[in-house]
Amino acid sequence: MEKIINSIDLSSQIQWVIAIILSILVIASISFWIWNKLSPSKLVKEMTLRTKSWWGMCFIFLFASTVNPIITYIGLAFLSFFTLREVYTLLKLRDSDRSTLLVCYLSIPIQYYFAYQGWYTMFLIFIPVFMFVIIPFLLVLSGDTDDIIRSMCILPTSLMLGVFGISHLALLISFPEMNEGNISGKALLLFLIFITEANDIMQFVFGKIFGRHKILPKVSPNKTWEGFIGGVISTTIIGYYMGFLTPLNSWQLILVSFCIAILGFMGDAIISAVKRDFGVKDMSNSIPGHGGFLDRIDSLSTTSSPFFHLIYFMVIA
Amino acid sequence: MKKLILIVTYTIFWRNFLKIIIGLKYYNQQILRKKKQFILIANHNSHMDTMAIMSSMPSRYIHRVHPVAAEDFFGGNRFKEILMRYMVNATLIPRKRANSEEDVDPIEVMSNLLKKGRSIIIYPEGSRGAAGVMTDFKKGIGYLVKQNPTVDVIPVYLDGLYKTLPKGKNLILPYNCRIIFGDSINFDSFDLEDIINAAEKAIHKVKSLVE
Repeated sequence: MEKIINSIDLSSQIQWVIAIILSILVIASISFWIWNKLSPSKLVKEMTLRTKSWWGMCFIFLFASTVNPIITYIGLAFLSFFTLREVYTLLKLRDSDRSTLLVCYLSIPIQYYFAYQGWYTMFLIFIPVFMFVIIPFLLVLSGDTDDIIRSMCILPTSLMLGVFGISHLALLISFPEMNEGNISGKALLLFLIFITEANDIMQFVFGKIFGRHKILPKVSPNKTWEGFIGGVISTTIIGYYMGFLTPLNSWQLILVSFCIAILGFMGDAIISAVKRDFGVKDMSNSIPGHGGFLDRIDSLSTTSSPFFHLIYFMVIA
Repeated sequence: MKKLILIVTYTIFWRNFLKIIIGLKYYNQQILRKKKQFILIANHNSHMDTMAIMSSMPSRYIHRVHPVAAEDFFGGNRFKEILMRYMVNATLIPRKRANSEEDVDPIEVMSNLLKKGRSIIIYPEGSRGAAGVMTDFKKGIGYLVKQNPTVDVIPVYLDGLYKTLPKGKNLILPYNCRIIFGDSINFDSFDLEDIINAAEKAIHKVKSLVE
């Protein structure tokens, strides 16, 4: 216990962000509670449930990211695992794919081990290069060629969605040059997650209030041009003011936040289309009010890798 | 001793393994807490079904719950029988009803267990069948309820477990799946056909409880 407490070493910036997150949650909970007392409706009920889940997610995340780094890696690896499990439950795969699925699951600990060690090159090429060759070959070894091309495409792509993107969050805290001088990987991780989730919420809020013109009518009827533009602008502003977590200057901050907002929207849209293909509304019902794990981290899976490389390009290289 | 083995394997190992790694969700599990003795009926597609049901039993009476298994498949050699008796707490029965005096009658074996105050788990479909398909119930459940009308019958629906370990495979893989417990069945009449129909209907009703 003492060891855990001693390992909590937070800079003043991170303490500020934790205070901001907690106060947002308190304000949201109280205002939804008052709103529900004044005029109960289905929307308020859903928002209350969502806020409750946000409390849980924030506590788990803050605990995992501020205590011992090992717990952060294990937590993120489990997040990848739950995401893959969700996807494979909905995918209609062939019986002969089962042994290859095991290899897909086993790639999670390997990828996170590379992240833990900070082996940048191995980390980068393990899934896009090695797994993209190994998985199709294992499928060939199973001997069943009917519909094999579908499995050959789906399985490596599921790793890109569920493991490769998310594991960049782990690389942020282990990458040596991300933790030197005035740069802190933990702070960058917090910045990325805060901005990505703020973007999700802002797009949702602007869409609910001003939404008129549908942006992707066939894929996701809830997404509107008003929500998209309002979300991008407000996310860029929020990112600009949260800049104290990063070593970036003003124009870099604006560019990074803008990119996160656009990429977050892309990830959201991609998963929406996938869900439409599966014929489900949510991936699962693991998080009350939000749906499955992939419903919540859809935008993170596309923002984290570009964010890492933007920071790498702007600050380190 | 047997109780300890069962508690360690099911309430500690299997329950956590199924929850965290396999992704099994338990619904209405609390109804088991109040019960003392029951006949638990479930749809059957995989060997994991028994693990899922046994792992949801309260540790208080887990040693008094006996899954019923076919002798020709699970018995045969001594090692298998000991494994079934101590690790699964199973009772082995022959598949066919007794024709002559010397044969063991499966219904009688189960009835005797119930008279001793034990609970049993049976799969009225008789065998695992095709993946995800529920076949017609065999008559066994009808005879059993007819002979023991006072024992509660709990319907359980197992959803998606056939994916984690399909028939003919031996690799257990994680998939999100569910086990749903229903309230004990009220039988209007104790006619053989009526009992079987009511039991089948009850399982389909449990399936629609969680959507």
